[in-house]
Amino acid sequence: MSAIHLQNLVKKFGDFTALKTMDLAIADGEFMALLGPSGCGKSTTMNMIAGMEEPTGGRILFGERDMAGVPMGRRGVGFVFQNYAIFTHMTVRQNLAYGPRMRGAAKAEIDRRVGAIAEMLQLTPLLDRKADRLSVNILQRVAIGRSAIMEPAIFLLDEPLSNVDAAFRAVMRTELKQLQRQFRQTMVYVTHDQLEAMTMADRIAVMDHGVLQQVGTPLEVYNDPANVFVARFIGAPGMNLLKGRPAESDRGLIVDLGPLGITPLLPGELAAALRGARGDVLYGFRPEQALLVPDGQGLAMRVSFVERIGARTIVHLGQGEAAVKTVFDNDVGLAIGDVAVVAPAASSVRIFDAATGLAMKAG
Amino acid sequence: MSAVTGTISEDAPTLEDDGKTVQARPAPRDEAARLGFRLTLPAQVLVLFISAFPLLMQLYISVTDLSPLSGLGWWNAWSLWNSFANYTDLAADARFWSALKRTAIVMIVCVPAEFLLGLALATLFADDFPGKRIFYSILLMPMMVVPAVAGYMFFMLFQSGGPVNDILSSLTGSPVTIAWLSDPTLALIAVMVADIWQWTPLMFLILLAGLVGVPEDQIKAATLLGANPWQRFVTIVLPKMKTIIIIALAIRVIENFKIFDTLYIMTGGGPGVATETISVYIYKLTTQDLIWGYVAAIALAILIVLSIVAVFAMKRMARARQVPA
Repeated sequence: MSAIHLQNLVKKFGDFTALKTMDLAIADGEFMALLGPSGCGKSTTMNMIAGMEEPTGGRILFGERDMAGVPMGRRGVGFVFQNYAIFTHMTVRQNLAYGPRMRGAAKAEIDRRVGAIAEMLQLTPLLDRKADRLSVNILQRVAIGRSAIMEPAIFLLDEPLSNVDAAFRAVMRTELKQLQRQFRQTMVYVTHDQLEAMTMADRIAVMDHGVLQQVGTPLEVYNDPANVFVARFIGAPGMNLLKGRPAESDRGLIVDLGPLGITPLLPGELAAALRGARGDVLYGFRPEQALLVPDGQGLAMRVSFVERIGARTIVHLGQGEAAVKTVFDNDVGLAIGDVAVVAPAASSVRIFDAATGLAMKAG
Repeated sequence: MSAVTGTISEDAPTLEDDGKTVQARPAPRDEAARLGFRLTLPAQVLVLFISAFPLLMQLYISVTDLSPLSGLGWWNAWSLWNSFANYTDLAADARFWSALKRTAIVMIVCVPAEFLLGLALATLFADDFPGKRIFYSILLMPMMVVPAVAGYMFFMLFQSGGPVNDILSSLTGSPVTIAWLSDPTLALIAVMVADIWQWTPLMFLILLAGLVGVPEDQIKAATLLGANPWQRFVTIVLPKMKTIIIIALAIRVIENFKIFDTLYIMTGGGPGVATETISVYIYKLTTQDLIWGYVAAIALAILIVLSIVAVFAMKRMARARQVPA
């Protein structure tokens, strides 16, 4: 069991900075997802935790122990590669036994451990199969088993589901989450797929351009994005953001969206946060939390596109430069060219500083 | 029209148990097949002349006493029929057997030496180091040298007043004047050094190609599981390179068996017969002893030996290929 602390972690490749001063504390037994678009530094972070790459600066602690100079074979981390990196010239049994065998464990001991891990992962009937013609879900289990047999305190998974088709991914997500409950290890999971991160992780670390943007539970990250990047990146489609300027109305604070008109009254807390704000702001709300309202009570925009995807309907709205997406649970009967009046539920409105991109909160 | 479509579907590839597709043998009345036969006939005749004709001709000559001194053309050689005497002579020819043994010794020393050196160099070149590209080019140069020129180079190097002795002299501090190419054992060693010098680069080139093809992730995975560099090499790298190693060894075994040009310029097979390999022996029989019927018998015997090596190598390759990287 081991907690992971990343302190002021920096990684540069020549002139390119892959990771800028990252601080992150991962609790013992926690399932942490590193989420971000490609090139955001998540894989670099993971490789440094595993010891495959040396940090340019900062420290990595496992529990209290500084990992600087500890080679990757001695860190006690299990690593599941994106393509699983199964030893295809060996059988499943030889793959599972590889770690103990390389460390010179006795044959009886190896057999016992392989037997136990194979039982747990339901690989027993496949033990003597060559590993080169196995299906993806079995390969994944072999990859996990091969690492798990070493009883690592930390498990690192590098986009293990990215080679799997969509239907199967759902099955594997469940399987992975159950495995983590079985092993109870600290897990770090790198992905660019927010659905994987949201469904499996205890907490998500959202990264972009080598900078940690926000750390929080899936719902925290979804409901209260720390900045514009997280707001846009999390959610499908991401949060709507409309540029405007806070203004006083006779009933309280609103945001003046220019040609789009004015927003409904801001709720008390947000109004408090915004009071005294000078510059432009971004008025944000989730597409799922937009409601169709009577004329005059919301933003009137023209329908530019309608996506009907079965359970949900995504309606694209536009007005001048402003664009908004709304998601409805059923077909609301809007067609291209119609005018819709939408307003977000008051509690779902988020305001960001247009200059800094940061969320504006009371206090 | 309907007949044609019918036969085409009959000719569709059939799938056997092992997954290989096998073309069903076309019926003689099959028009498409007959057209195909006619179209490929020139190529088939050509192949026949390239491979089958020389073979049959040799077989024919090998049962005669044909010699340029007989004044007969090869087609009239039947009058010199010697009822397989060439083959019985061959079995009793001590010079042939010692040439064969010598060829085998050269192979047993040179091919493993070239393999190990090539593998070591390939391992070195799999990683980056300063000046790698220059060293790479220099390393491949011996392979580009015309074997006759290489023979001349080593002929000069191993002269009793040559650079090899000069180096030995300066190392030992006393003048060394070893007559390398005049001593039966040393001449053989000199010849093997030349072969290793010239053909290690080929081994290196082939093995390097195999080495960079080993999936890096699997090596990393092995490292993370605690394997040390030697364990990684033995359990991951070598098994992944099996096919390419077999190919490299087979190429060199077959080529080394035919060793001639470098050697002939260095020693002419001498002193005496000390470096006489099969090829040198055949050359002498053909150009000096002029017993062509006997040469044909030797040539066929060698062909059979090499074919066995080739078949063995290809079988191993086919088996190894069932394990993709």
